[in-house]
Amino acid sequence: MAQEMIEGINPTRMELLKLKQREKLAVKGHSLLKEKRNALIMEFFNILERVKGSRENVNLKLEEAYQDLTAAQVSMGDLAVRKAAMSVTESVNVDIDARSVMGVVVPVIDSETKKRTITERGYGFMDTSVKVDEAAKKFEESIQLIIELGEIEKTIMLLAGEIESTKRRVNALEHIIIPRIENTVKYIEMRLEEMERENFVRLKMIKKTIETEEVNG
Amino acid sequence: MSSKIAVMADPDTVTGFMLGGIKEGFPVKNMEEAGETLKKLAKEYSIIITTEKIGDNFRETIDKISSESALPMIIEIPDKKGSIDRESDPIRDLIKRVIGVEMVE
Repeated sequence: MAQEMIEGINPTRMELLKLKQREKLAVKGHSLLKEKRNALIMEFFNILERVKGSRENVNLKLEEAYQDLTAAQVSMGDLAVRKAAMSVTESVNVDIDARSVMGVVVPVIDSETKKRTITERGYGFMDTSVKVDEAAKKFEESIQLIIELGEIEKTIMLLAGEIESTKRRVNALEHIIIPRIENTVKYIEMRLEEMERENFVRLKMIKKTIETEEVNG
Repeated sequence: MSSKIAVMADPDTVTGFMLGGIKEGFPVKNMEEAGETLKKLAKEYSIIITTEKIGDNFRETIDKISSESALPMIIEIPDKKGSIDRESDPIRDLIKRVIGVEMVE
């Protein structure tokens, strides 16, 4: 197997020390990132518990709401329903906070939909049908669900992005950077040993020459 | 921090949500304008509710907005005619890619 190495490194003791330092750092970083990845995935699973079925709930609720809306439009006319809608008072109060999950900022929505009685909605009763009330109630409920769904889906997206990039970094460290440094360290060590041996042999040779010269001289 | 919600959808859906108590409704009459409206809304509101149909038309814009920062969150809902049958649920795909196995039924 052709072993990957860092290019252009001189086999010196200085470089060896430097590389060993780098290897230590890389290993430490690798284990930290691995922990981060595991924590993120755990958080991800927690969120997944919540996402189950929430999309379906929203769709079902909305379907009912649309049916009532259409019924209202049929009985009162499009324009009258819109007029009633215009005069409805605001019902949703949303607070968005941020929470940090291992450095990923995810939104936390604290929404408060007032459960309003018919009189509080703000349209008149003279010219509105009961279907309007029904539709309004269902839409209020669906807004609550939609906001919740939005929070969950957004969190999932953000976490997923972070998990992917962390995964990539863990893999890069594990499979490329750390082996590469290890191989380079090994290479330098071997080169140094080889030089040592060469030197040893050279010294022996010199000793021998000197000795023969002394005998002859 | 109190945040604002906007609805950008077809007129009927907007009417419905206004009945539900969201005051900021932006009916979409033609698709060309919707893209501009969406960009404008993204600066001002923190939650934008829109329909899947509009979402499909402006997939790139929405992806760009939602990948840039945590807010605003853009939520796509089915409109009056029901939800669009998609071959794959984007969230489910994402989960599959991240975890590696099918998780959500």
